[in-house]
Amino acid sequence: MAVAEQVKNVLEARGLVKKFGKKTALAGIALNIREGDFTGLLGPNGAGKTTTIKMLTGLIKPTAGEIYYYGRDFFTHPRDAKRCIGVVPQQSNVDRDLTAYENLYLHSILYGIPKKQRRGKIEEALEFAGLREYGHRQVKTFSGGMKRRLVLVRALLHGPKILFLDEPTVGLDPQIRKNIWDLILKINQRKGMAILLTTHYIEEAEKLCRSTYIIDKGRIIAEGSPDDLKKDMGRYVLELFLEDRIEEEFFSSKDDALTRLKECGHACKIRQVTLEDVFIKLTGKRINV
Amino acid sequence: MFNGFRGILYRELNVFRKRAKKQILASSLSPLLFLIAFGWGFGDRVAVNGLPYITFLIPGLITMSSLNQSYGIAQELNITRFYFHVFDEYLIAPISHVEIVLGEAAYGMFKGLLSTVLIFVYSVIFSVKLIVGPMFFIAILTHTFLFTTLGITIAMLVKDHGDQATVNTFVITPMIFLSGTFFPVDKLPAVFKWLVYALPLTYSTKVIRATLTGGDVNMSYFLLMLGFAAAFFVTALRAVGRVEG
Repeated sequence: MAVAEQVKNVLEARGLVKKFGKKTALAGIALNIREGDFTGLLGPNGAGKTTTIKMLTGLIKPTAGEIYYYGRDFFTHPRDAKRCIGVVPQQSNVDRDLTAYENLYLHSILYGIPKKQRRGKIEEALEFAGLREYGHRQVKTFSGGMKRRLVLVRALLHGPKILFLDEPTVGLDPQIRKNIWDLILKINQRKGMAILLTTHYIEEAEKLCRSTYIIDKGRIIAEGSPDDLKKDMGRYVLELFLEDRIEEEFFSSKDDALTRLKECGHACKIRQVTLEDVFIKLTGKRINV
Repeated sequence: MFNGFRGILYRELNVFRKRAKKQILASSLSPLLFLIAFGWGFGDRVAVNGLPYITFLIPGLITMSSLNQSYGIAQELNITRFYFHVFDEYLIAPISHVEIVLGEAAYGMFKGLLSTVLIFVYSVIFSVKLIVGPMFFIAILTHTFLFTTLGITIAMLVKDHGDQATVNTFVITPMIFLSGTFFPVDKLPAVFKWLVYALPLTYSTKVIRATLTGGDVNMSYFLLMLGFAAAFFVTALRAVGRVEG
């Protein structure tokens, strides 16, 4: 397909290693993200997701490995690369003492947005975040969800080509989480921006990402689209409620699962396979413990 | 160009503007207390190095107060680094470490100069005559730059807020008391002199006092100030680099 060939690599990382003293946080990670991709980095807490993001965005230096943005070395051309990166860190690191407008204005100076364009872009961003009426209020007074939305549009202000989201909905209540999801999807679809999102919520990865890297103990243990990863397991799970434990059996079709259900003498339930099952199969443990 | 420098200054001055009243009030209190206690307390009965004590004291208060303010941005940097992680925004942005250090340093110098102005106001109230020439400006700029880059260095090296307080207790406070701000260091026992002459504040105080009271400026002391300033600029740069570990 000619169209597929034209899609450029935004980010390519090879052999990323990070050691903190004797402890190895990342043991060699390779990632590839193309324009318009929506990629998830799924794994339990402490797997190395945040370390990966910090390295890819220049917050910490890798012990070894290479990072390229549009084929150019990140470490020899950090400025060019940083201009095409937008980052939403795990903590909403907006300035509490500034207003929403001032926070965005600071960002516009740091990223060299021409003075004439600043006002328009900031107003557009506030509108997009649903914060138009709150532009001149101090961020101190904002709720968690409002801060999150502000950080999100701040990361977009300079028109990056790739957006990093580190656990974007952690600590938010379900309704606000959905609201953030909608916003992220809109960004990916409308602006065609590549997104790399880390999460330890299975649902988040399944709902948003078109491709996923599953990460555990500093290594990528599986990669592919959520559907493909699940297909390898079989589509349906039969959960058998035994006396002391729950046993799971995997089937490629619902009919097979139903046949088994009828013949087994236990209480049981059929459900669809999730990425959690994939993770359990690969590591023998759950993602959220 | 200089987006980083301008951005950081925009941020710092905007935050300062909102707290200006409180900050200025707070920074004006301690020098006033010193002036009341030592200035009026001793009055002109005491003369030091041929100067009335209050005339001797005021230049010392200028170096002390401007040091406190310039170095004091370390505290603010700590909060932005450890609590609100605002500092990450600078590290992620397409700006250089030089711009980060210079931006913060400009803010630190601004605060130091503001407190200097305040003490000049006091000197008028206490009717102390001071000579303000070009050499004074050069010296106070060097002095505030030196101590604000020291502050940035420390703020980037410490691991948490507690470490910062420890450095202040064991380094900054003793330096303020021993470096000739309140009394001439020449009267100190020899052991202390070694220590005192290792501290940059000793030279700032000597140079700034000389410019303000019409004494002779010892140029080698001024060169030492420049040396300290250059050294702390380099350590600040390296320390910012280390944050990215």
